[in-house]
Amino acid sequence: MSTEHTDYEMQPYRSESSVAPRDHIALVDLLDRVLAGGVVVAGEITLSVADVDMVMISLRALVTSVSALAESGADLGELAR
Amino acid sequence: MTEPSGVWVYAVSADVAAPSLSELRGVGDEPVRGISAAGLTAIAGDVPLAEFGESALRRNLEDLAWLEATARAHHHVIDALGQRGPLVPMRLATVYANGAGVAAMLDERATDLRAALSRISAHQEWGVKAYAQQSEPGSPAAAEPARSGAARVGPGASYLRRRRDELSAHSQARYDAIASAEAVHIRLSGLAAEARLHPPQAPQLTGIRSQMLLNAAYLLDEERAEEFADAVTALALEHPGVRLELTGPWPPYSFAGLPDRPDHGAGRRREH
Amino acid sequence: MTARAGEPGTLARRHRIDADPESVERGLVSLVLTVVELLRQLMERQALRRVDDGTLSDEQIERIGSTLMALESRMGELRDHFGLNPEDLNLDLGPLGPLLPYD
Repeated sequence: MSTEHTDYEMQPYRSESSVAPRDHIALVDLLDRVLAGGVVVAGEITLSVADVDMVMISLRALVTSVSALAESGADLGELAR
Repeated sequence: MTEPSGVWVYAVSADVAAPSLSELRGVGDEPVRGISAAGLTAIAGDVPLAEFGESALRRNLEDLAWLEATARAHHHVIDALGQRGPLVPMRLATVYANGAGVAAMLDERATDLRAALSRISAHQEWGVKAYAQQSEPGSPAAAEPARSGAARVGPGASYLRRRRDELSAHSQARYDAIASAEAVHIRLSGLAAEARLHPPQAPQLTGIRSQMLLNAAYLLDEERAEEFADAVTALALEHPGVRLELTGPWPPYSFAGLPDRPDHGAGRRREH
Repeated sequence: MTARAGEPGTLARRHRIDADPESVERGLVSLVLTVVELLRQLMERQALRRVDDGTLSDEQIERIGSTLMALESRMGELRDHFGLNPEDLNLDLGPLGPLLPYD
């Protein structure tokens, strides 16, 4: 993999059309946000919230998501329900 | 529909006219619809439990190809609608048994959801990552002139000297890069309404060898986006020891958090 | 232009487990060389500390330095022989990060 030669790199991902083309967004950046961001709602009638705990075990490289969860103080017990 | 289904929730907005949603397809290629309650609308879709139910999710979330496709589809809906007005994104894989459950959630969390909507209204999320610049091999030692008074130094001793110079230049560079990343974050936080640090991304996922020193999200007033981008450019020039990467605008994923317990104005209360 | 490693398919490739004999051997070789490299770096740092402490004679310094220099050179040859880059010699310790420091 090359590491770049420009000190500053802008990654605009929104095109002029109303919906951004999917491939411009790096998956890692998206996963940072959709796995560890967004509203977390738990309740009796919720089937499941993203079981990030499980994701951590099987995709050990995604430790980042679990760390974020731990830092936010979220109750992992709720998520496992 | 004969197969059991659940309701996948993408986001919550202030009331939205339902017909305008129908052109969007969601994670299960289902048409996206709105479920309204308490003056709010949840953007949702009916999805088969065979693929999106709890046990199916445990399996599928471990499949990177499925995770990628689903994350992108989830984002696609949020991003498309986010352009029409403030939207509080849901975390990936928020699935309810039925629409009534979604409506009940809206009723229960209306105060918090409205507060979140007003906080992010007219704001955008932008991401900034900083990497330590790859050091040029051998350069510190090459630039080092022969030390005065060195007299005759054997090849072994001179090898050690070179290694010491390289290691100390390297650790100095590392120290400076970390200080730069901190300075960048402090300056950019000053331009933002809110800032949030994400853990550095694992190199196995990014394929980038340099060490990531900063992975931050900033909530900006829409009108300051250009000023922010200019600040990033300026900071990159001021801090040559780090490489900066700007991404955005994003829906406000990193700033959508609600308090752990709903705010009913009546103090603490068990959620369930 | 930064390579976009997040592209579809890239992540899946990284996590696939290869079980053919050649890559098992290559895996073992890089594991062994990683350990050797770790020891080499530790010895080098230790030597530099002793040099700085002033506890070594000039002759000792020369001898240790020559040995470490030869070791570095030999490591290079071994890597070349097995077609490995310096970056290939590392161990991922998960939350603890990589075994060998970023270079």
